[in-house]
Amino acid sequence: MDNPLVQPDPGLFIWTIVTFLVLLTLLAKFAWKPLLEALETRQQGIRQALDDAQAAKQELQRLEQEAAQMMRKARAEAEVLITQSRADADRLREEIRQKAKADAEGIMRNAERQIQLETGRALQQIRSEAVDLSVMIASKIIQRNITKEDNERLIADALKQVEGTRAN
Amino acid sequence: MMLGQEHAQELGEHAAGVAEKFNAGETIIHHVSNSPISEPLIHLPKLAGIDFSVTKHVLMLWLVAAFVLVVVITTVRRYLKQDKPIPTGFMNPLEALVEFIRDSIALPNVGKKWVNTWTPLLLTLFVFIFCANAVGLVPIFDVLGLVDHFVLHTGDHSFIKQLLHGGTTATANYNVTAALAMITFSAIIVAGSRAHGVVQHWINLVPHGLAWPIYILLIPIELMGMLVRPFALTMRLAANMTGGHIAILAILSFVFLFAKMFGHAVGVGVGVAASVPLATAISALEIIVVLVQAYVFTLLSAVFIGMAIHVHH
Repeated sequence: MDNPLVQPDPGLFIWTIVTFLVLLTLLAKFAWKPLLEALETRQQGIRQALDDAQAAKQELQRLEQEAAQMMRKARAEAEVLITQSRADADRLREEIRQKAKADAEGIMRNAERQIQLETGRALQQIRSEAVDLSVMIASKIIQRNITKEDNERLIADALKQVEGTRAN
Repeated sequence: MMLGQEHAQELGEHAAGVAEKFNAGETIIHHVSNSPISEPLIHLPKLAGIDFSVTKHVLMLWLVAAFVLVVVITTVRRYLKQDKPIPTGFMNPLEALVEFIRDSIALPNVGKKWVNTWTPLLLTLFVFIFCANAVGLVPIFDVLGLVDHFVLHTGDHSFIKQLLHGGTTATANYNVTAALAMITFSAIIVAGSRAHGVVQHWINLVPHGLAWPIYILLIPIELMGMLVRPFALTMRLAANMTGGHIAILAILSFVFLFAKMFGHAVGVGVGVAASVPLATAISALEIIVVLVQAYVFTLLSAVFIGMAIHVHH
């Protein structure tokens, strides 16, 4: 058969195998294997990133819940605190009022006592002053110095009289 | 062969060459077959009785291999050199192809364990066969012939003139497809041997536990089946690649047949009305065929390799 369509050509057959094997070796070494590895790495990277994103989202959710819970707790605590301090303040105010009242009463009582004391002392002074005065006046009137014994007797009489008037 | 006009031109040259005696059959066969080994492009000495001279189809194989190497390796290198693995430009379709062949052809057939072992082979088969098929649709040598005819005017035995002899589609030559099928055939044996051991691979060819008389029938059948698979791969690819081109050339040769029978004007009329539109339509169909045949060859290789790995009868 001389039809070139069906002409066996062992040279071409072998050239094809050689060409293909060279191509396969070079492509496999420099293109396919690194590329397949890179694709797999990228695939894993994407999966990892998605997992991470999901984990982060869950963590965020958890934190939000935690924050909300803390907020609730804080609010409740604050409420308790406010009620308590209000009660404390009321109590304190009452105490202070009571104490002030007691203090004021004490001061009044002291003042009264002081006044009484001072009054007594003043009366005493007035009395002795009056004695001296009356003695001086009396001696002027009688124009002579009475003796000491007379003096003392007169004082005692006067005192008795005074005592007598006071007692009345 | 995308552009019918170039073919018409080239056919015209040949028609002129043989003057009044236009032989459609001879012209067509000349355009789909390899350049004759007796007039190779590069003469090489015979080795063990085999002529290794470089014919048109050997040259086409080299051109296709060089093209694939440069395009694929530069694209992949550029992609891998980046800081972040973001595919850009031609890397996008290439990545889609790689993932398609890995996930839709290799993985379902050879299984998870062997997918990284056999994906490079399947990828290379697909890309190489596809490019070798597709280059036949691009009228590079027809354009070169025109340039030579009208501009360069090289001599009758110049290198360019020699380049014009023979078809562009190396995968239309069954010597080439037989070699590619031989690769698949070897891959099947290697896959079986690596998965089950050399001896077990051959035992796996037939189901075990049958009555002995059945084996007398079964062993020859399975051995034949083993050889028929690569034979079918060889013929399917070569015949498909030849068929489309023959159809295009036959339709275009109507122009010259009608011109010879009814005069120049009728020939041109037939060309404008029927031949060129039909040839263009078939060229469009050929684009699909080119893709499908590369896919089928790759898929069947994966299936056969998978059958050697996962033996079930």
